[in-house]
Amino acid sequence: MSRWAKQIQMQCNIPAIGVASSNIVHYATGYVAKYQTGMPIRYVSVPFPFTGQPRAVDVGYVSGKDMLSGQPLMSAVVAALTGPLTAEEKISGAPPEEALESRLLPPDSEENLRMLFEDREWTDFNSIILPTERRVTEMLKGTSHKPDEVIKTINITGGARQLTVEKVAISAVMAGASPAHLPVILALATQAPFGNSTSSMANMLVINGPIRNKLKFNCGTNAMGPYNRSNAVVGRAFALMSKTAGDLRNNVNAWETLGNTMQYNSMCYGENEEALPDGWDPLHVETGFKPTDNVLSVGTGWSSIASVGASQSIYPTHYLMRDYMSSFCASGSAATIVIDPTVAGLLKGVHGFKTKAQLSEWFSQNVTKMNASYWGNGVIQSTAVPFALAGLEPYASWRKLPDDALIKPFTNPKAIHVVVAGGKVQTMWFVTDFGIRRGVKIDDWA
Amino acid sequence: MLAFLGISPTLVAGSPTYARTAPKAAPEGSPANGESLITVMNPAIAGKLATRSPLAPPLDKLDGKKIYMVNLSWEGPDAANYFYGAMTEWFDKHYTGVKTIVKVTAEGMFGSDPSIIKDIIASKADAAIVGVAG
Repeated sequence: MSRWAKQIQMQCNIPAIGVASSNIVHYATGYVAKYQTGMPIRYVSVPFPFTGQPRAVDVGYVSGKDMLSGQPLMSAVVAALTGPLTAEEKISGAPPEEALESRLLPPDSEENLRMLFEDREWTDFNSIILPTERRVTEMLKGTSHKPDEVIKTINITGGARQLTVEKVAISAVMAGASPAHLPVILALATQAPFGNSTSSMANMLVINGPIRNKLKFNCGTNAMGPYNRSNAVVGRAFALMSKTAGDLRNNVNAWETLGNTMQYNSMCYGENEEALPDGWDPLHVETGFKPTDNVLSVGTGWSSIASVGASQSIYPTHYLMRDYMSSFCASGSAATIVIDPTVAGLLKGVHGFKTKAQLSEWFSQNVTKMNASYWGNGVIQSTAVPFALAGLEPYASWRKLPDDALIKPFTNPKAIHVVVAGGKVQTMWFVTDFGIRRGVKIDDWA
Repeated sequence: MLAFLGISPTLVAGSPTYARTAPKAAPEGSPANGESLITVMNPAIAGKLATRSPLAPPLDKLDGKKIYMVNLSWEGPDAANYFYGAMTEWFDKHYTGVKTIVKVTAEGMFGSDPSIIKDIIASKADAAIVGVAG
């Protein structure tokens, strides 16, 4: 919103003010102004929540009070549009010299350093390995890349922070990783930071290729549980590097209203490629890589629904999966189904899905959702309504349908991924709303 | 007393994480509480401050002005449309000749929509209101 207001002021040379609810305005006038726009946009503030309210509530806010100044809201609007500029509002040009972060922290006791790391929110508030220079140097032996190589510039909340190989190695040490894990964690760094949205999203990390066995990633029993070092440290490193490199701090620029426990480990696991039914390709092969490539795939979503039931012939498992998938928002047509090898075997052997792609196509054709339920999701309102208003199909047609009409929201079967993991202990599966992006080759970071 | 009521005094005092202050580094080489000192690497990355830009000149008055209201479609366009409609009524009632134009952005709150800027210029708007987030 500040970006819009700045653009209007710069290109049209007219005053442009923002209206936001109280949960957002402090971020807009603080962190965003400092690191993103450099312009002290004037705001007025309405109570939160604003969206999803009856019309009378939103209309009533106009005759209510500005949450920032306490004066009548429209008086605040008039003042924001007509009030003379302050000295602060007239400042232009280069910002004051930024405060550099020293490469080494001042020497201190372990206890004090641990306290410092927590006070700065550099940890996930579980105990970390303190990143001494010796440990980081040892970690860097896991890659041929130079420590000062910039992997990416993180600017999602502003600040244009340059994430280097050395900074990632520091996070890897803190997470408890070994040098052998570093190429995986560097590949992961290309996707940092993790999801940071008021909607409380999380990530899923899937490892494919021979490196699963080399580094002993758990793909079998308890693949998604706390029973394996590689799964644990790689997943945890994503949280740590996201927080340190992204400068993510609670109520400063991290505004996930509920947060998401999956952010602790980002659901890191390996696909059980050895247990795939014949004809079912691993995730990385389905997305265009060679079977021998070592690939990390990152997904973003919010939730999963689990069930046992593949052995019930009265209601086949893919029917249950279909039913549960109708609960998801289907943003971008995305879903990822994680299934035990026993379920994969039944889906192929009993129900005839010869490939993962056939199963994805079946879901795309058979998952239905009530139109009002689809549009009732805030993520869809934010992302798909603009498409509908622009006349893009099928969104434009869906917007005209009655509330109780059934639509097929998973329009793109290629966005529905199936991953096989687990130890053949139970006919168990998760359907999730995670959208998986194209994978990253791990060997590029060796 | 608080403990008798089932409330932790610590809870009332605030989270210890945030109540405590950042520790001061001890002088190099000196022990802190008898512990040896260690040096660790800094995981933080300095953020680059944005180049400062001044605000555009404010209006001298509202009478007779044209105000462009940009609806960012935050979780859909309806709420902001209701809000901007009520704002328009308020301007009609309190000022003479204020005109408002409400436009929904084509790509929502995250995208860009160059047609909005072009439209603001073409319509000779005097001011803009952007929202409503939340």
